[in-house]
Amino acid sequence: MSDLQAEPSARSIWSGRITIGLVNVPVKLYTMIKDQSFSFKLVRKDDACPLRYERVCTLDDKVVPWSEVGRAIEVRKGEYVVFSDKELDSLRPESNKKIVINKFVLMNQVDRVFYDTSFILAPDKSDDSYGLLLNAFKEKGLAGVGKFTLRTKEYPIIIYPYHEALILTTLRYSDEVVDPKTVKEITTVKKPSKEELDLALKIIDNLRGDFSIKDYRDTFREEVQKLVESKMKGQIITVEEPQAEEVRSLMQALKETLSQMQQR
Amino acid sequence: MMKELTRVNFTNLNKIIYPELGISKSQVIDYYIRIAPRMLPFLKDRALVRTRYPNGINEEGFYEKDAPKGTPEWIKTFTKFSESVQKNTDYVICNDLDTLIWLANLAALELHIPLSKTPETGVPDIALFDLDPEPPAGLREAINAAFLLKELLEKLGLKSFVKNSGKKGLHVVIPLQPNHNFDQVRDFVHSVGLILTKKHIFIVSERSQTNEPGKVLIDYPQNSEHGTMIAPYSLRAVKEATVSTPLEWHELNTLKPYDYNLFSILNKSEEPWKHLFDEPQKLPKSF
Repeated sequence: MSDLQAEPSARSIWSGRITIGLVNVPVKLYTMIKDQSFSFKLVRKDDACPLRYERVCTLDDKVVPWSEVGRAIEVRKGEYVVFSDKELDSLRPESNKKIVINKFVLMNQVDRVFYDTSFILAPDKSDDSYGLLLNAFKEKGLAGVGKFTLRTKEYPIIIYPYHEALILTTLRYSDEVVDPKTVKEITTVKKPSKEELDLALKIIDNLRGDFSIKDYRDTFREEVQKLVESKMKGQIITVEEPQAEEVRSLMQALKETLSQMQQR
Repeated sequence: MMKELTRVNFTNLNKIIYPELGISKSQVIDYYIRIAPRMLPFLKDRALVRTRYPNGINEEGFYEKDAPKGTPEWIKTFTKFSESVQKNTDYVICNDLDTLIWLANLAALELHIPLSKTPETGVPDIALFDLDPEPPAGLREAINAAFLLKELLEKLGLKSFVKNSGKKGLHVVIPLQPNHNFDQVRDFVHSVGLILTKKHIFIVSERSQTNEPGKVLIDYPQNSEHGTMIAPYSLRAVKEATVSTPLEWHELNTLKPYDYNLFSILNKSEEPWKHLFDEPQKLPKSF
């Protein structure tokens, strides 16, 4: 089974075209990354009545209707520069329905710390030209870089072949990523002695293995899901005291050793 | 629930015991839980002496014979009158997993075993040759001495077993039939050492000779009712978190200091001392 197990979306979130020089390939964009965290609704505890947010003035405590809400940036404590929707709209990049590729680069030239989120590019009644583009990418072993506007934000992007499809990954801007060298504690890290390093290497070798993302699970989500199911069946829930990580791993070791000693 | 698995109440699990490797007390306890099936046979019915490091190995540890205050009722003890301090000492006997991890929770990193079992503490069941290299001699020289010792013992019709001490030295032992006393064993170990010193200039047999640099001492006085050796699979209080490890003789050819520690030993599948007590031997009267 594949390591990629999220449910595919029924509908695309965007359609337009990839533009490389004079070539255009009509494409649709599908979500690739799906956050599976629970979103809890806020309710009144006693009767599960759902709650609603209100925007309240901090001076007179009156509710402000949407029609009177504007956007502002706090420039100094308590001082605001207010924008009208019109002003902001005129500044925003135009969504021109285009994914522009202006360069081809080696994939590893784009540092993966800039990777943000990924989308699946699919042909939009353009099976032939999409297939041509995909195979040209694969043949060259290069990735395309360029830019793309989704909703109201323009992103640097990288496009590359993966599992017989083209993937678009949005990138972070350079001023959005911190250089580890600028963290104070990093600058004072000491060089180990050869002896210490050898020991550390030995420990690493002992723990060496193959990576599978399926070894990791969101246990909180699974436990909440189980609880939802038993609550729906009307079962009474007894709350177990949360166990610290160390206690849980010692219990696991005890279970293993006890069963081993029974076999001996 | 933890209570269904053990009678021990764990405390201060996050305390760092080996600061250089960042090993916490919970990892020490985890180690003793996992090594227990291999280790317990060597502790059985022996009056244990412990070295405890409640504040980690970089703080002072202490040597403990008496069962400490607050020892639970279910811990087995052996009471013996001590001539030297004119009072009874209650030694801890570790015959089960719970006692072992109770000791681990007390940060009793090093477990030392006497060379006899209770209640007949005057009857040795192990003869110990403690090979201790004096710098600049090191493990390599101790290994050379151990092979010479093994060869000599074979000529006397004796099968010997070897482990590293977890520090620089090696321990070579012979399992004994219950018809020796400590004086006989100590004399035997001493005599064997003397034979080797005559043939090999780098081997010495007396503690007074350890001020000669580069020698390997074959120490014999520990063969007494009060003597002990570090238990097989015990941790050592050194920064590399080494383990005193039973070895196959051929492993000595490539053995390096710190080869076995709290992490790596759990991947070692062989148990070279598994049958140590299956064929106890008789020391020759004269040779």
